[in-house]
Amino acid sequence: MATNSHTQGRFAITTRKLPISKSAPIAAMEARLGIPVPEMIFGDNVVAVRHAPTGWRIEFNAYDALDAVDKTDKNMLQVAYAKSWSASREQTSAGIKEVVKPYDWSYSTTYRGTTTPPSSTNTSDGENNETPNLTPVGPAEDDPTRPAKQIPLELLKRRDPILFFDDVVLYESELDDNGISMLSVKTRVHEHRMLLLCRLFMRLDHVVARVRDTRVYVDFDTDEVIREYTVKEGSYEDLKKAFRVSGLTPDGVTVALRDGNKVAEQLPIIDQTIEHVSLK
Amino acid sequence: MSDLDKAIAQLRACRPIPEAQVRELCHKARELLIEEGNVVTVAAPVTICGDIHGQFHDLMELFRVGGDPPDTNYLFMGDFVDRGFYSLESFLLLLCLKVRYPDRMTLIRGNHESRQITTVYGFYDECVRKYGSANVWRYCCDVFDYLALGAIVLGASNTLSPPNEHISSEDYADADIEIEVCNADGDIMSRFQRRDNEQRSPNGAEASAGSKMGPPGSGASGSSGGSSGNPTGAVLCVHGGLSPLIDTVDKIRLLDRKQEVPHEGAMCDLLWSDPDEIDGWGLSPRGAGFLFGADIVKVFNHRNDLSLIARAHQLVMEGFKEMFDASIVTVWSAPNYCYRCGNVAAVLELSEGGGGESILARSNGDVGRSDGGMRGVMMESESAPKNGPARRYRVFQAAPQDSRGMPAKKPVADYFL
Repeated sequence: MATNSHTQGRFAITTRKLPISKSAPIAAMEARLGIPVPEMIFGDNVVAVRHAPTGWRIEFNAYDALDAVDKTDKNMLQVAYAKSWSASREQTSAGIKEVVKPYDWSYSTTYRGTTTPPSSTNTSDGENNETPNLTPVGPAEDDPTRPAKQIPLELLKRRDPILFFDDVVLYESELDDNGISMLSVKTRVHEHRMLLLCRLFMRLDHVVARVRDTRVYVDFDTDEVIREYTVKEGSYEDLKKAFRVSGLTPDGVTVALRDGNKVAEQLPIIDQTIEHVSLK
Repeated sequence: MSDLDKAIAQLRACRPIPEAQVRELCHKARELLIEEGNVVTVAAPVTICGDIHGQFHDLMELFRVGGDPPDTNYLFMGDFVDRGFYSLESFLLLLCLKVRYPDRMTLIRGNHESRQITTVYGFYDECVRKYGSANVWRYCCDVFDYLALGAIVLGASNTLSPPNEHISSEDYADADIEIEVCNADGDIMSRFQRRDNEQRSPNGAEASAGSKMGPPGSGASGSSGGSSGNPTGAVLCVHGGLSPLIDTVDKIRLLDRKQEVPHEGAMCDLLWSDPDEIDGWGLSPRGAGFLFGADIVKVFNHRNDLSLIARAHQLVMEGFKEMFDASIVTVWSAPNYCYRCGNVAAVLELSEGGGGESILARSNGDVGRSDGGMRGVMMESESAPKNGPARRYRVFQAAPQDSRGMPAKKPVADYFL
């Protein structure tokens, strides 16, 4: 019941959804990771796409995602009222200056999934010596401003029947009531193609908002896989302004700030990379 | 039936009461709460509850498992509102019960009982949606400012009374049980005997080894601590935790609490801080908020004659989590938090001690002992740490989906891009 599977073409899509992890697995996970995990940690949840003939596989799980969180103080954010908070403390608790276990507590992971290359047994076809795996896509020959391969959005906008759908949360933190950080994976499978979206949505109130999207597109006819990673980020104030300009009321802005989809629409793109692999 | 009883009946059915009635209720509640100190004194027996977060149907389940008020005395450690869909009904019901049975209901403030936080995390929106204006939200926030910051439970026994009517108290008294975990039907799931150090952590995976109880009535266990009413230290209940500015319970009593939760200072810390596996005090990496280690808790408990601190504020999958040699416990009472975590919830039951009178006379925050600073206190051999009270955790699951009048959470297929 917790695990759902669907086979389409030569690909198997699997999702597993279980309750948040218990104390003992959390302790073990924190010991291995070296950082505290978010309070809502779905350590057993997973979304995987596997190409049966080659064994190539991409998987999304909470542990690997958290392993891709900065474990140093280099990318540490501070809550909006940190300055006033520490200023007011200087007289009263001068002894307490040490920050416990510095790490990126906003859990802004750079995770794009965990890939398993094709199993080495698949060398029957002597022609293909290199094991295929995701490689960066360069600019197109006819138009260098465009990448040579892109996820075909127009095809995905069509209302083709959805044969398999799931929405799996990997972790979520309320950032001690200073916002939200959530990593979740959605997937929809159609007859000829599928799309998977692994989204990090992080909003630190009055400071910053981030969306980091990993999209995996599979063409079941050609066995081609495209992975697109998009980084979006903007200041909280700019985001609010953008919502106001789009015609939302102040209450509407409050609601929109909580909605990862609406935030993603407004944030500017900072970086994007596209990778591609052909498994046929 | 008085108006108040009618309001309770209506709220129990998860139907909001009219705005005028909310206004009157909040006014009465304020008059009542203003008389309470920052730290309310509560006599055992009492059932201590953690975060509720507007999960009304799960609050009903809590009452079913823990006993209906006023038959059971309750102490709620804050965070009644936000996140869940029924903050309004949950908080107003608890407030009605407080006004109706003031000595049997204790409500203390959580960090979500604040104007600023409720504006962001749901309660404000819910009030506006259900009443068409923010008036009810304002009335409730005015009540928040008067909620106590903590409670001291006195007279808790070091033995438990039977968990259900099928076990007679005679059979029960023989077992020298420190911790008992029961399911929602009152069946014993696991027990931990006093001074049985290997079994001290009911949260450890390896320690959850079923029932340690011999056949009922096997008697003659010769337990030394078994006589009812041996003094146990008091239990301090607070939403978040300790503050570096507070070394005695009496210092909490001196705070001016009748205000919005400030961003800094002792009052803020009591509602926001967390225990952590560190030495001494630490600063949260977030840049605001404190973390405190085992040594801090032990010194504080010793100095204030406490045997236990009960707090809420952090989600724990098992519903409760004892830390630092059982000197502090986190109690979490919102099952399937946010309707998607799949966690169980718990309440902590403390029994009434036989010799309650003498314990009630104990003074808290004994000033005579606050000489030695932070170090050295544990070295004093003058008194060993007080025995902790016997603790029963009743663990329960979320109310069935169909009882909450909303569709079961199934992902709705959408054409996301």
